[in-house]
Amino acid sequence: MSADLATRLLLSRRELPAPAEIARRKLDAEGGCGVIGIACETPLAGRHLLQALRQMRNRGNGKGGGIAAAGLDPEFFGVAPTWLRQDYLLAVAYLDPACRPEVERTAIEPTFEVDAVFEFPTLGAREAIPGLDVTPPAVVGYFARVRPDVRRAFCERHGLPEGSAAEDEIVYQNTYGLNRAFYAATGDKRAFVLSHGKDLLILKMVGYGDDVVRYYRLEDLRAHVWIGHHRYPTKGKVWHPGGAHPFAGMHEALVHNGDFANYASICAYLAQRRIYPLFLTDTEVAVLVYDLLHRVYGYPSEYVIEAMAPTTERDYCMLPASRREIYGWLQALHMRGSPDGPWFFLLAQSLPAREVVRLMGITDTSMLRPQVFALQRGEVAVGFAASEKQAIDAALESLSADDPRFWPRADLYWNARGGSHTDGGAFLFTVARENGGAPQLACTDKFGRLIEPDPARRPPRWAIRRGVAATDAPPSLGEGPPEEVFAALVERVPHWDYETLAGALELLVERAAGRERAAVVEILTRLLDRRYGTGSMKRSGVLALVEEALGRVWDGVRRAPNGSWRWYGWGEPEPPAPGDAETTLVVDARGFPPEGPESLARAIVRQYRRGFRRMVVARTRGQRFIGCGLGPESSGVRLEIYGSPGDYLASGLDGAEVVVHASGQDQMAQIMRRGTLVVHGDVGQTFMYAGKGGEVFILGNAAGRPLINAVGSPRVVINGTCLDYLAESFMAGDPLNGGGFVILNGIAFDDDGRIVELPTPYPGGNLFSLASGGAIYVRDPYGTVGEDQLNGGEIVPLGEGDWQAMLPCLEKNARWFGIPVARLLEVDGRPRPPREVYRKVQPSRHRALLPEEAWVKRGFARPAAAHWRRLRRRLARR
Amino acid sequence: MRDSPDIVPDPRVVAKHRHALREGYRRWPRLGRPPAMGDPRWTADLILATWVAAETGRFPAEGLESRVGASGGGFDRLEFRFLPEDGRLAESEPVELSIPLNRRPCDPRIEIPVPWYGGGMSFGSISEQVMLGRAMAAQAWGTFTSTGEGGYPDSLLPYKDHVITQVATGMFGVREETIQRARIVEFKYAQGAKPGLGGHLLGNKTTMTVAKMRESLPWVSLFSPFPFHSVYSVEDHKKHIDWIKAIQPEALVSVKVSTPTDVDMVAVGSYYAGAHILQVDGSYGGTGAAPEIAKKNIAMPIELAIPKVHRFLEAEGIRDEIVILASGGIRTADDIAKIVALGADGVVLGTVELAALGCTRCANCEAGRGCPFGLTTTDPELSLLVEPEWAAERLGRLYEALAARLRDILRGLGLRSLRELRGRRDLLRYRREAA
Repeated sequence: MSADLATRLLLSRRELPAPAEIARRKLDAEGGCGVIGIACETPLAGRHLLQALRQMRNRGNGKGGGIAAAGLDPEFFGVAPTWLRQDYLLAVAYLDPACRPEVERTAIEPTFEVDAVFEFPTLGAREAIPGLDVTPPAVVGYFARVRPDVRRAFCERHGLPEGSAAEDEIVYQNTYGLNRAFYAATGDKRAFVLSHGKDLLILKMVGYGDDVVRYYRLEDLRAHVWIGHHRYPTKGKVWHPGGAHPFAGMHEALVHNGDFANYASICAYLAQRRIYPLFLTDTEVAVLVYDLLHRVYGYPSEYVIEAMAPTTERDYCMLPASRREIYGWLQALHMRGSPDGPWFFLLAQSLPAREVVRLMGITDTSMLRPQVFALQRGEVAVGFAASEKQAIDAALESLSADDPRFWPRADLYWNARGGSHTDGGAFLFTVARENGGAPQLACTDKFGRLIEPDPARRPPRWAIRRGVAATDAPPSLGEGPPEEVFAALVERVPHWDYETLAGALELLVERAAGRERAAVVEILTRLLDRRYGTGSMKRSGVLALVEEALGRVWDGVRRAPNGSWRWYGWGEPEPPAPGDAETTLVVDARGFPPEGPESLARAIVRQYRRGFRRMVVARTRGQRFIGCGLGPESSGVRLEIYGSPGDYLASGLDGAEVVVHASGQDQMAQIMRRGTLVVHGDVGQTFMYAGKGGEVFILGNAAGRPLINAVGSPRVVINGTCLDYLAESFMAGDPLNGGGFVILNGIAFDDDGRIVELPTPYPGGNLFSLASGGAIYVRDPYGTVGEDQLNGGEIVPLGEGDWQAMLPCLEKNARWFGIPVARLLEVDGRPRPPREVYRKVQPSRHRALLPEEAWVKRGFARPAAAHWRRLRRRLARR
Repeated sequence: MRDSPDIVPDPRVVAKHRHALREGYRRWPRLGRPPAMGDPRWTADLILATWVAAETGRFPAEGLESRVGASGGGFDRLEFRFLPEDGRLAESEPVELSIPLNRRPCDPRIEIPVPWYGGGMSFGSISEQVMLGRAMAAQAWGTFTSTGEGGYPDSLLPYKDHVITQVATGMFGVREETIQRARIVEFKYAQGAKPGLGGHLLGNKTTMTVAKMRESLPWVSLFSPFPFHSVYSVEDHKKHIDWIKAIQPEALVSVKVSTPTDVDMVAVGSYYAGAHILQVDGSYGGTGAAPEIAKKNIAMPIELAIPKVHRFLEAEGIRDEIVILASGGIRTADDIAKIVALGADGVVLGTVELAALGCTRCANCEAGRGCPFGLTTTDPELSLLVEPEWAAERLGRLYEALAARLRDILRGLGLRSLRELRGRRDLLRYRREAA
C-alpha cells in the first residue's frame, strides 16, 4: 500500500468525533486467560473447539468468553458462498433488543445494502447454561455491501481510489460511530458491533468460551479457522460482553492472554492517528494497532509482527544486515505502539482478496505467557496454537473420535522464541486455495520459513481395524523378556504398516491379560518413550496406536485387578490397601479436577498415605500439581505419568522418582530438592525455578527461563536445547564438590530415530547470567556458543574433574533414554575426548573479597585460642 | 550457628558488650536525650519509649512522646475524636482485641488474640537468635511470626504452630516440608520498602551459615527476582496458590504486596485467587536486605493505600471475605488503631519489634557487621549479643504495652472491640496545623 493511500485513509478520520479525553487507564484489570486457535484444511465443527476450551476452564473465571471463526461454511447461514467473500458480515450484539430498529435505521441502512439477515439461534434463557450471570446478547448477522453512492461520495471527499481499501475504511468508521452511539464505555450499553469483516465472525459474552459455543448453538458451525478464549477479569461486579475477547480489527479477530504495562502510551500512539479505543481493554488496543499496521500501512505480516514484538538484544544483532535496517526503522517508528509486558496473541484472519484465511500466534519478546504450537499433517492438515498442550490434545482427541482423517497426537509440538532471530516468536497457519483447488494449509514462522513434518510418511486412518494378523510378529512377542521383545519390534516396525502394528499391539494387550502385565507395560512404554525408525509410518501415528494399546491395558487392570495391580478412578471407591510396596496402582486421571481438594494431585497423595509406593497415573489431561505434596519421606516412591500432564508437575519433589512418558508443561519441578525426575519429551517455561537438588533428565527441550534461581546441588541433563535465560542467577555451589550443574547436549532425533546435532546447543541470550555458582556443560564441539550470550559468566575448557562429575549423570541419561555416552563424544562420526566436545560455562571471578569474608577466612586459618588472645589484647589496648 | 568451629567468642566479652549496650539505654534519662538518634518518622522519643515499653510493659506516661512521630503527615497528623470523659468506657470494662485470620466460609478458623503478628524477616536479614525470640513471643501470645525468605531454621520447629512460612520470589529455603508444617503460608510478591526489586541480601551478610540455609554460596549477594518468574497474572497467581494448597491443603494463604497506585486491583485479584489474608505493605517499612537506593525510593504510604483497598473491596462486595493487614511503618498502638479505623483488620509488625530489642534506627542494617546491637546481623559474634529468651521477654512486654494502650484508645472511643473500629474513618480527624 502506498504511503499516500495510508495518509489519505488516516486523514479521512479527521471527521471522526474524538472522545473528550484520551484513554489513559484500562477499565478492566485482566487477570490472565486461556486461549486456543485451530486452523484446518477442512472446515471443522465448533464442538471440537468446545472440547479444548472446556479443558482450560481453570484459566478463566466465567466472566468473559468468546470465539471467532474465519473461513465460514455458507450453509450454516443459508447464504451463497460468494456472499461470504463479497459481503461484510456485520455481527451486531443487541444487549437491549428494543434498540434494533434504531440501530438499523441510523447505523446500518444509511451505509449498507443488506443482502441477508441471519438471527443467531440461542438456547434461550440464560438458565439453560448453569453459572451464567448475565443474559447473553441477541446477535444478528447482516450480510451487507457498502452502498455505491456512499462509497463514491467518501472517495471523492477524501481523494481515495474506489476499491476495497476505501470500503474497508467506511466499514471501520461506521462501526466506530455505531459503537460510540450505542455502546460508549461509560454510558448506555445497548448494542455494539462484534465483528464486521468478510468471512469472519466473532461471538462473545459474560461466561466461559465454551458457553458461547453452546449458547449460540455453534457446535455444528464449520469453519477453517477458530480461536477461543476464556477471560479472567477481576474488577467490577457488573460485566459486559463488550469487554470479552475476541476484538475485531477489520478482517481479523484477536484474543490475548496477558497484560500491557504501557496502555496509556499505546492509546496516545493510536490517538495521534485518530484511533480511539471505546471498550478500554488491552486487547482492543492490540487489535487496533494490528489493524493500523496491517490494513492502513499495508505492512507484510513479518513487519507487523516486528512492530508489535520487536527483536532486541543479541537476537537483533544476529539478524542479516538487510533485516536489521528495516527492523531498526520499524522499531524507531512504532516502539511506542508496541505492547510492553507479558502477552500472547492469537488472530483469526481472512484475506478476502486472496481467498485466504489464517491463524496467527504471536508471543511477546520475553515469552512471559504460556504458549505452545502444534501441527498434524494427515490427509488433511490441522494446526494449533494454545496456552497449554493438553488443550490441543483434547481438540485432537475430539477430532479423531469424529473423523478418521485425524488421530489423537500431533506430528510436531513446539514453543516459539519471542522476538528472536530464529523463528521470530510467531507462527502463521495459512489456509489458501491455490487455483480453485482444495484448500491447503501451510505453517510458516515470522520469516516465512516453512514448518513441515516429513512428507514421505503416510498418515494413519484412525479407528484402525484391529484383528489384522501381524504376520511378521516376532516369535518372542507372546512370552519373551521385555528388552528382547522391544528390540525385535523396533527391528520390524520400519517395515510394517499401521494395520500390522495394530495387530502386534493387539497380541501384546492380550498377553497383558495374563500374568505378564508388567512386561507388556514395559514393552509398550518403551515403544512410547524411545526414538526408532517407523518406516513409512508417521511417528505420531505409531505413538497414538501405542497409547491406545496402553489404554486398553489400563482398562484390563480395571476389569481384573489382582495382588500386584490395582485400579482407581474418579468417583470410584478406593481400591483395597496395597499388599506390599510392589503393588502398582493405576490411577486413571480422566474426570479428576485439575486442582483443589478433589484434584488428582491430592488423590495421589491420599493413595500414597494408604501405602501405595508405585503408581501409574494414566490418561492425564492437564491435571496440575501431580507429584506435589508427597513430602520428604517419599524416597522409594515411583510415579509413572502418561497422557498430557498439566503445570507444576513434581514441584516440590523431595525424594520420590517421577517418570513422565510424555512432554511436560510449565512450572515443572520448582523447588525440587531430592529424588529423580525423568521426562521423555519437552518441558515448558520456568522449569526447575528455585530448584535445590535431585537428578533430572529431559529428553527434549526446555522452554524459556529454566533453572532460574536454582541453588544447592541439582544435576540436570537437558538433551535438547533451551529457548532463553538458562540458569539465570544460578547459585548451586561448586560443581566439583557436590554442587549443581546443567548438561546441555544440544541434540535431537531424526525421523528414523538417529541422533542428530542441533545447529547450536543454545540459540538464546542470557546464558547463565548473574550466576554465582554451579556450571553449565554445553556439548558444543563446533564452538557455536559465544561470550556474547553470557552475562557475568565465562567459557572455560572442560577439566578432568568436570568430566568425572558429569559422567555418572550421562551414564544414567544413557540408561533412561538410550543415548550412549560414546555417541555424545562422537563428532562427525569420530570419537573425541570430552574436553573437545563439552565446554564449561562458569561464573566469572569478579567477586571482591569482602571485609567480612576476610575476617572469617582469618578465623579459619588461625587456631581459636591464638585468635582470641589477639582479640583480647586489642580490646585491652583500647 | 557458628560459621567456623574455630571461632568461639569469649562469653565474658559478649556479656560485657551486652551490659554496656543495655546500660546505655537504662541511663538515658540521666544522660539526656541522645543527640543523634532517630528521624522524623521514628523520633528519639518513640525509640526510647518503645525501649521503655519493652522493659516495663507500659508506654511511659510522661516525659516521652510515645504516640506519634514528627513526620508532619499521615499517622502523625491523624487524631482520634475521643468521646467526652463521661462517655468513655470505664477502666474495668473488658475490651476485645482479637481478630480472625480467615473470613472465608471454608478452611481452618484461626483467630489471634491481638490484632498483629510479626512480619517476615529472613534469616540473613536478622539473626537466628532474633528469629527465635520472635517465635517464642508469638507462641506465648498465641499469634504468629513469619520466617521471611531465608529458610526455616530447625530451632524454630518447637514453635511451628506460630510460624508462618514465607514463599518469596527467590524461594530460598522453601521446601515441601516447610510448607507442610505451616498453618499459614505467606506469598511475598513485593515489599513496600523495596517495591519492584524482589529481595537483595548483600554479600557481606551472606555468611557461611546463611548460605548453607539458603543452599547458595557464601559472600555473594543473593537476589530474589521480581516478580515470581512463574506469575505474571491473576490466573498464574491462583495457580501458584493452588500449588501450595496441593502441598498443604490445611494452610491459610496470605499474600504480601506493596502499594503501587493500582493496589486496589492487586487486592481484588488476590481475593479471586483464593487468598485469606492480604498484607498491604506500605512505604515506611524497614529492610535489612536491600541497598540504600531502594530503601529511600519508595511506594505509596500505607495511610493512603489501606482506605483505597478497603473502600474498593467494599464496593465489590467482598470486603468481609478477606482479612486485610497493614504493615510498613506501624510504630505504636495509636498507629494500629488509626490504620484499623482507616479500614484494615489488623497489622503486621516489624521495626517496632526490633526497637524493643534495642534498634536505634541507625540504618546500617544491610552491612554485614553493621548492626551494633546484634539484631540485623548474621555475624557469628555480633549475633550473640541477643539471647532468644531475653528477646522473647521484651517482645512480650512490648505486646502487653501495645494491647494496654490499644484498649485505652478503644475505651476512649466507646468501643468494646477492635472489630467495631474497622473502617470508622469518622472517628479520625486530620490535624491541619503542625502541633
